[in-house]
Amino acid sequence: MIAIPYLAALTTYFSYGLLFAFGQIRDFFRKILDWSGSNNLQGYAPICVAHEDFYVRRLYLRIQDCFGRPITSAPDAWFDVVERYSNDNNKTLKRTTNISRCLNLGSYNYLGFAAADEYCTPRVIESLRKYSPSTCSSRVDAGTTALHNELEKCVADFVGKPAAIVFGMGYVTNSAILPVLIGKGGLIISDSLNHNSIVNGARGSGATIRVFQHNTPSHLEEVLREQLAEGQPRTHRPWKKIMVIVEGIYSMEGDLCKLPEIIAICKKYKAYIYLDEAHSIGAVGKTGKGVCELLGVDTADVDIMMGTFTKSFGSCGGYIAGSKELIQYLKYTCPAHLYATSISPPAAEQIKSSIKVILGEDGSNRGPQKLAQIRENSNFFRSELQKMGFEVIGDDDSPVVPIMLYNPAKIPAFSRECLKQNVAVVMVAFPATPLLLARVRVCISASHTKEDLVKALKVFDQVGDLVGIKYFPAEPDKEQEEDKIVKLD
Amino acid sequence: MANLYVKAVPPADLNRNTEWFMYPGVWTTYILILFFSWLLVLSIFGCSPGMAWTFVNLAHFCITYHFFHWKKGTPFAEDQGIYNRLTWWEQIDNGQQLTRNRKFLTVVPVVLYLIASHTTDYQHPMLFFNTLAVIVLVVAKFPNMHKVRIFGINADK
Repeated sequence: MIAIPYLAALTTYFSYGLLFAFGQIRDFFRKILDWSGSNNLQGYAPICVAHEDFYVRRLYLRIQDCFGRPITSAPDAWFDVVERYSNDNNKTLKRTTNISRCLNLGSYNYLGFAAADEYCTPRVIESLRKYSPSTCSSRVDAGTTALHNELEKCVADFVGKPAAIVFGMGYVTNSAILPVLIGKGGLIISDSLNHNSIVNGARGSGATIRVFQHNTPSHLEEVLREQLAEGQPRTHRPWKKIMVIVEGIYSMEGDLCKLPEIIAICKKYKAYIYLDEAHSIGAVGKTGKGVCELLGVDTADVDIMMGTFTKSFGSCGGYIAGSKELIQYLKYTCPAHLYATSISPPAAEQIKSSIKVILGEDGSNRGPQKLAQIRENSNFFRSELQKMGFEVIGDDDSPVVPIMLYNPAKIPAFSRECLKQNVAVVMVAFPATPLLLARVRVCISASHTKEDLVKALKVFDQVGDLVGIKYFPAEPDKEQEEDKIVKLD
Repeated sequence: MANLYVKAVPPADLNRNTEWFMYPGVWTTYILILFFSWLLVLSIFGCSPGMAWTFVNLAHFCITYHFFHWKKGTPFAEDQGIYNRLTWWEQIDNGQQLTRNRKFLTVVPVVLYLIASHTTDYQHPMLFFNTLAVIVLVVAKFPNMHKVRIFGINADK
């Protein structure tokens, strides 16, 4: 539920309309100017059908310098951003050799494992020497090392399920698992704001897909009841399998899934539930075990738990955790296990070591410290921004802090002004988010110190005033109120 | 005015090309754009109000026919071309007919026609062109015309 100022909504529609109109006019003139040129396709079909690259050419390329900035250091709390320039109005960007040291508010570095860590890095280097950077084989051929077996056991214990299977890439985990779990004749009900990997996997599976309103258990129940009554399309036979797919923390909204209610509904109607904990595993919960621990849900109630290692563990890859029979079945059928190269051994070692640190098994209490730090940081940052009058969405305790912008012109304005003051932020615009709801997505990390956050808040305050995104009234300072009271006496 | 907020609930529509139409403020923006374009035409050409409304009506016809009923597909490639055979009108509300949005979009050309013909006192040749515009637009929006391509015009190869 986002509260949009009405005037901002009207001006945003008008701005997009204007951008669209200008793009169409430029395309029209380009077509006329290219009419005389020779058509050298020689019978081949054109690469882009109709105008499917219109958005990229006419809207995205104008603000291309705000996306895809190259970095030349590890994505720690502070990192080095390469400066770029353009001679043809952002159509092409050229790198310079200048580097600016910026505060990193964009990396998924929730627990601070993205840079060298005193426990993990020596062990990773050791496994690099012992096992080499790649296994050069798929898991079933020659790519399963002792490290992989240990890692799967470690992940299963951490998540709280009997068994787990690990893949080399997080996106692939979703898009290769869903076609194996459910097929034609099945029904997938997914949250309307699910990640692209889930959408792709669902489309690739061949099952019927229905969408329910974001985080609304009552609408999920409505959709379930309607689909159960109708049955499969055209034949109206009962569905072979029904699966509900939700995420732990939604990466663009920063809000937590309403897991207890959704699980209650799934149990009532006997549907399977697939929980994608990409952003929540390791970042929320008292001991970092994800959204199930935070919301007090028994892990035995969630049928399939999926997660990635890119966010909180500082590595790469994804996992699926479930019952022993499920994991055994996946090992026989999943193409990512049978044909894709297995996860790189140093990456696997990084995951194992970071899990040990989080659980406190490395002999220090850095893990609980990091978890407390990230919770404190996110709550502090969020409440300070709300006090300044920004519109911040997302739940408390969630390390993803999106700030609403709305107007398309504010996207490059905010990004460039922040970069001038050495703060690097990530912008999210259409089509990753709905047209109206463009935003700045800040990812808080346990490695951000209080000074870093205070500096970021100062920069946001200035840039927010300049760009004009303080849509809510700011709360006055307590000190100012006390002064006023004194003056009245 | 500055403190007027609307609540936006993300609709359950995966098609980003049409999902933006389900948010609050779209209808108002549409009507305001038509009104301000009338003022713009009046200021630039200095013609009578009736001629300006006729001009707006015909420009509205050309633009909405081209973008709602002629162009097919979506302006981005992330949906892998599953809407490439559908025009924007056929895509909105997931293909459901007679929803509130569709009824609103059908009424707008009719209201524009009434305003344009009233302010020109129902004289020819403006009346002929206005009537042609409204007939084409309203017929194109009938539920029975869903995915119909007359004489194969604008059909896929």
